Amino acid sequence: MVAYEIFQLVVFPGALFVICLAFLYEWVDRKLFARVQGRYGPLYTGPAGILQPVADFLKLISKEDIVPRVCDANLFFAVPVMYAALPLTALFIMPIAAPEALISFEGDLIFILFSFGLMTLLIFLAGWSSMSRFSAIGSVRSALQMLSYEIPLGLVLVCPAIAARSLSVSGIVQWQAAIAMWGAALQPIGLAVVMVCMLAELELVPFDIPEAETEIVAGWRTEFTGRRLALFRMGRDLEMVLVSALVVSLYLGGAQQLWLIPAAAMFVVKTAAVVAAFSFARALFARFRIDQMIAGMWKYMLPIAAAQVVLVQMGLGA
Amino acid sequence: MGYASTIKVPFGPQHPALKEPEHFLFEVDGDTVVGVTPRIGYVHRGIEKALELSTYGHGIYLAERVCGICTIAHTCCYAQAIEELMGIDVPPRANYIRMIMSELERLHSHSLWVGLVAHEAGFDTLFMYAWRDREAILNLFQELTGGRVLHAINTLGGVRRDISSEMADRIRRTLEHFEGRAREYLRIVRTEPTFLRRTRDVGVLKPADAARLNAVGPTLRASGIKGDVRRDDPYAAYDEMPFNVITSDSCDVFGRTEVRAEEMVESIGIIRHALEHLPEGVFRVRAPRNVPAGECVSRVEAPRGEDMHYARSNGTAKPDRYKIRAPTLANIPALCKMLVGIHVADIPIILAGIDPCFSCMDRMVFIRSGGATGRAR
Amino acid sequence: MSIVGEALRQLRRKPCTVRYPAEKVPVPPRFRGMPAWEMSKCILCVLCQNACPPGAIRLIGKGPEAEIEYLMDRCIFCEECAEVCPKRAIVMSAHFELAGFDRSKMVFRFRKERQPEPPKPSAQTANG
Repeated sequence: MVAYEIFQLVVFPGALFVICLAFLYEWVDRKLFARVQGRYGPLYTGPAGILQPVADFLKLISKEDIVPRVCDANLFFAVPVMYAALPLTALFIMPIAAPEALISFEGDLIFILFSFGLMTLLIFLAGWSSMSRFSAIGSVRSALQMLSYEIPLGLVLVCPAIAARSLSVSGIVQWQAAIAMWGAALQPIGLAVVMVCMLAELELVPFDIPEAETEIVAGWRTEFTGRRLALFRMGRDLEMVLVSALVVSLYLGGAQQLWLIPAAAMFVVKTAAVVAAFSFARALFARFRIDQMIAGMWKYMLPIAAAQVVLVQMGLGA
Repeated sequence: MGYASTIKVPFGPQHPALKEPEHFLFEVDGDTVVGVTPRIGYVHRGIEKALELSTYGHGIYLAERVCGICTIAHTCCYAQAIEELMGIDVPPRANYIRMIMSELERLHSHSLWVGLVAHEAGFDTLFMYAWRDREAILNLFQELTGGRVLHAINTLGGVRRDISSEMADRIRRTLEHFEGRAREYLRIVRTEPTFLRRTRDVGVLKPADAARLNAVGPTLRASGIKGDVRRDDPYAAYDEMPFNVITSDSCDVFGRTEVRAEEMVESIGIIRHALEHLPEGVFRVRAPRNVPAGECVSRVEAPRGEDMHYARSNGTAKPDRYKIRAPTLANIPALCKMLVGIHVADIPIILAGIDPCFSCMDRMVFIRSGGATGRAR
Repeated sequence: MSIVGEALRQLRRKPCTVRYPAEKVPVPPRFRGMPAWEMSKCILCVLCQNACPPGAIRLIGKGPEAEIEYLMDRCIFCEECAEVCPKRAIVMSAHFELAGFDRSKMVFRFRKERQPEPPKPSAQTANG
């Protein structure tokens, strides 16, 4: 029925649910990051501060939007909106409430990879259109960063597809349900490489080089304020949901029902665990320099990713 | 041709990397810094003039407020200079108490710095841990002197408060806990791989350059040169203390980190030795109001290096001229040498590596018009 | 890695943040908070006014009706006044929450209690 489909697309497990998950994961991330450091994290808005990300979003929307005089106005207006909308679109492909996503087709894994690349392109355009020194340095760094993690990521993400004989994320989840095992048990190297490359994709420490706060103020996000910054933060949170949904679907079994616990609840728990792992990694490392990061990715990550592909082709991990 | 191949990136006066305002104009070619032009003077508050307008007894509070982290160093230096001009001798117990407070301040300043350099490297967790442990020292200051940051313990003629035996026990207990943490930080900075990647071979200052450009403090000692006022020109009972002058041969930010972390351990040893051998007696003598005419230079080893004060008196109750040369000012030429030829990402780490205290530094601004370009330097 | 153990240990402990103003850290004795004058001991000798480095203390008026004016927004809490007072009439209290919006509220005036007038001799006894 059309009404039911619209409900699915807009409310659950569609846009509204995903936006709520985005806020929830931002809270999980901030809380764990703070606790590792001996602080409280968000505390007062809502029980245990769980409404803090919502409060921040609403506050940013209500603030003044300062547009630099010399910026490229069209891009400056369009990029935040596109940056928030793109992960939202990609999330329709992720199976959230059932092993079958709302939209699935053969090759949607490639579409996800493409949307990651497009998001980095949007970051580059955001910094470039701001016409500020710090933004320019930040955007160049983010493009350089993408050049280094994109290939190992692409290589490794294809391995579960090879094993499952399907290029669709939903197909891979169903394959894991059929063999009653998680992808992580079969391809642990792949999971490690994916986690590291996703840290680079999400620009978290040790790879938050494009927005290194102490070096270039805020990198590509320097000139964005008010509503645009709210949309960027929303986009970043949605990207976090997308990344952890991808990791969960490909390696941790995805949204499968476990005894009586519904699939959506399992999905939320697993993705929250992945977010917690990212947050823990964020707390433990110092920031790399861009040349160290590129060298590390090409010297170490690429051979390891290639090794994982070779292993899968040989039949180990299929 | 039309386009310049380098871009000018301004650092400050407001910048997240700088905790205090100064301006550095970097010329960046791609990812390499090819030139730097510093411009200092943003925190100039006219303290030297204010010192000429107040009496010697009141001036010690101005000297205290030159910097929040090196307050005891500045007040010790001031008190020593004026006591020299007055010709009075400070009782030995006061010297020991001054020394204990100076070393506690060194502990507090170095643990603050460990946190700062970790923050510049993106390592926020170590920043939080270091500052959490620094709280123990600040609470100790509060119990000893009545204030966490501005202590008001030095005065002309000695110190204002005594260290009782209960306080000495409190100090010992706090130091026991803090020593474990200091050794832990030493271990972390030596072994944490991402931190090592960011600090090794970064901000190299060869020993010849360090000596020529008059670097002071841990910046000098990390280039292998044993220069420490506590050993070269002992003041306040340091000649009776057994301690090592820590040097390192790496000449980079990692060396400076190592030097400071090990100095923390040395300071704990000095404080323990001083508490054990604290001489009996009074801790304060009376200081005259008028100071006979004369001039005097006094030096102490602040946490950041050699702090030098010059005083000239003319027989009245107010100084004729007072000049403060803070350690960071001496490190600025060395800093400019270190900043050329590096990656942009290393700028904040190198800036933090000399432990800049710009509010100490800005006593006077020099403006000299440059030669051919006519540009003020 | 060294910091992983530290991080896990910190997760088990309570955070070290003090939830001010719900929780407060007690102030140790001899803390240099705002000074308070005990006028019953004060002899209006002006030594505190001379000793104060920023000039936050002023004696206004003459004789036993004089008042001590204390400007809290100038005070640097150095304890010189308490140290120099010959009668120990100034005590550094434990007040440190002194921020406010109104500077006129930061001026304090202390005056001695007015002594009761001695009874006037009656007209008969004075003359006769």
